[in-house]
Amino acid sequence: MTLLSVENLSIRFGTPDGDVHAVNDVSFDIAAGETVALVGESGSGKSQIALSILGLLAPNARTSGRIMYGGRDLLSLKRRELNKVRAKEIAMIFQDPMSSLNPYMTIERQLNESLELHEGLRGAAARKRVLEVLDAVQIPDARNRLRAYPHEFSGGMRQRIVIAMALLCNPKLILADEPTTALDVTVQAQIMRLLDDIRRDMGTAILLITHDLGVVAGSCENTLVLYSGKVMEHAPTRALFAEPQHPYTRGLLRAVPNIHDEAGALHAIPGQPPNTMRALTGCPFAPRCVDAIAACHQIVPPLEGDALRQRACIRPVEELT
Amino acid sequence: MLQYTFRRTLAVLPTIICLIVICFFLMRLAPGGPFTSERPLPPAIMANVLERYGLDQPLHVQLWTYLKNIFFHFDFGPSFSQRDRDVNDIIAAGFPVTLTYGFWSAVFVLALGIPLGIIAALRQNSLWDYIMTGFAIFSQIFPNFVLAPLMVLTFTLAWGLLPGGGWNGGQWEYVIMPAVALGTSYLANVARITRSSLLEVLGAPYIRTARAKGLAERTILWRHALKPTLLPVISYMSPVFVYMITGSVFIDVFFSTGGIGQSFIDAAYTRDYSVILGLAILYSVLTFVLNLGVDLAYAAIDPKVRSGLK
Repeated sequence: MTLLSVENLSIRFGTPDGDVHAVNDVSFDIAAGETVALVGESGSGKSQIALSILGLLAPNARTSGRIMYGGRDLLSLKRRELNKVRAKEIAMIFQDPMSSLNPYMTIERQLNESLELHEGLRGAAARKRVLEVLDAVQIPDARNRLRAYPHEFSGGMRQRIVIAMALLCNPKLILADEPTTALDVTVQAQIMRLLDDIRRDMGTAILLITHDLGVVAGSCENTLVLYSGKVMEHAPTRALFAEPQHPYTRGLLRAVPNIHDEAGALHAIPGQPPNTMRALTGCPFAPRCVDAIAACHQIVPPLEGDALRQRACIRPVEELT
Repeated sequence: MLQYTFRRTLAVLPTIICLIVICFFLMRLAPGGPFTSERPLPPAIMANVLERYGLDQPLHVQLWTYLKNIFFHFDFGPSFSQRDRDVNDIIAAGFPVTLTYGFWSAVFVLALGIPLGIIAALRQNSLWDYIMTGFAIFSQIFPNFVLAPLMVLTFTLAWGLLPGGGWNGGQWEYVIMPAVALGTSYLANVARITRSSLLEVLGAPYIRTARAKGLAERTILWRHALKPTLLPVISYMSPVFVYMITGSVFIDVFFSTGGIGQSFIDAAYTRDYSVILGLAILYSVLTFVLNLGVDLAYAAIDPKVRSGLK
């Protein structure tokens, strides 16, 4: 059952030098209880997609398309209506646990305010729920740390608190925006396992935004590969890794260092991401693509395929290197 | 926190003693003395006067006597230029005046400056914002020595609403103009600092987190944004407070309020050593107390500072 449906979403940012085309005509669905990965390099627009779902884009953003949730278009909701969806229906886990908690408020206050707002819980009832959630994200000795401030926790613990914050009201969907970027590898693994447990135990759907393919491989059913704000390939994760059908996906997978490879230079995709100040006139990846032909620079490739997997490339799969 | 306050208070004593010693010698270095005048006094009378005030003693003895009197008797000595008055009297007479209008000036600055700054930030690039910016520029090009005469011209001479000077025991009509004239330029600065501080805070990731919780913008402002917004305002106000409650020399002279600033000027002209020293000590103690107050306010707001104090 489709929970959230992003339809032809485009996001532009007005700047004094002209519009930045951050997201171009992106569509995808998230089913209840499903984990979808949004993969792309920095600046590919993946975080902006998540922010647009909750109406948290910067004030200079302009959107088009629809984001359907529960029969309503989130993009056109009034702030008052949107506030009822935020945290209660769709919660977000932010990227940087160091700065996304308010340094001037105790952990307990930051956690219980959404309970107060959405569930009407106060006092002992709110504290009970807060402790439940802190236990779920494995914060040791949570009861005695309720009155602590963010700076008194380590980075990994703060990320757990941010996750706990997202879980409080049992949302149906969690938008996890690079939840592990700021953490070291062992903590990353713990956090990913934690998210996986949450999804299994509570049936929460997760939109995982990351640039780390390793994280995706372990945990997501479907993956969207984003480049310059455009979906390049959308496929079940297993199939995507086994046989990538887009030159960009192939390049990305080649760039993942392999433990069995002999030591040597790492693979990289040559060139730079394109300038988002211009509207797309061809495939955004064409300038860096080993398989590009003249037509690639002139035609914006449509996202085509069957219900299971789609790709945006005008060259047949068989002809790709 | 108490322990911290105590430690800070202890640490300030040596500072104040150093300050007394330095001021003491600096004053003596300046040419002239309290009893120098156009026509020199006959030597016999001069000797008499000097003896009366202990100025015939060697400098180190004078300093020692001075310090002893302060610390054991809380006596800052007699005034050299005003007969039968001592420094304690002069401070007791003038300080309440400056404290009163300085306090109301600070209230005026904060009670108006902070809301103005908040409104300007929330309505960025709106009419309100431009009015606030215009006002800030206005108060910078009209410093208090221009503003005060303009106010007297308007409110006293033209409209006859407020008295143009005097104190009259600190009735409100007499307090308004000194307090407003003293505060206006600070008010503009406070509004400006509040505005830019709030704009910065509202762009912080933790404010986005608060929005993602579904909180109303009003709640976010009061609960999440206000405290961090005020931190730079507090830093700015710390020296301003001292300046305000010790009074502006200009305000005291212009409005003839009889405040402490007037005494300072008079004492400096007449080389009234004990009054100058007494006031310097008063200023430094106030500076210390207010700085401590600011540090404590910081600790009250910022938990990181608080845990640093322990």
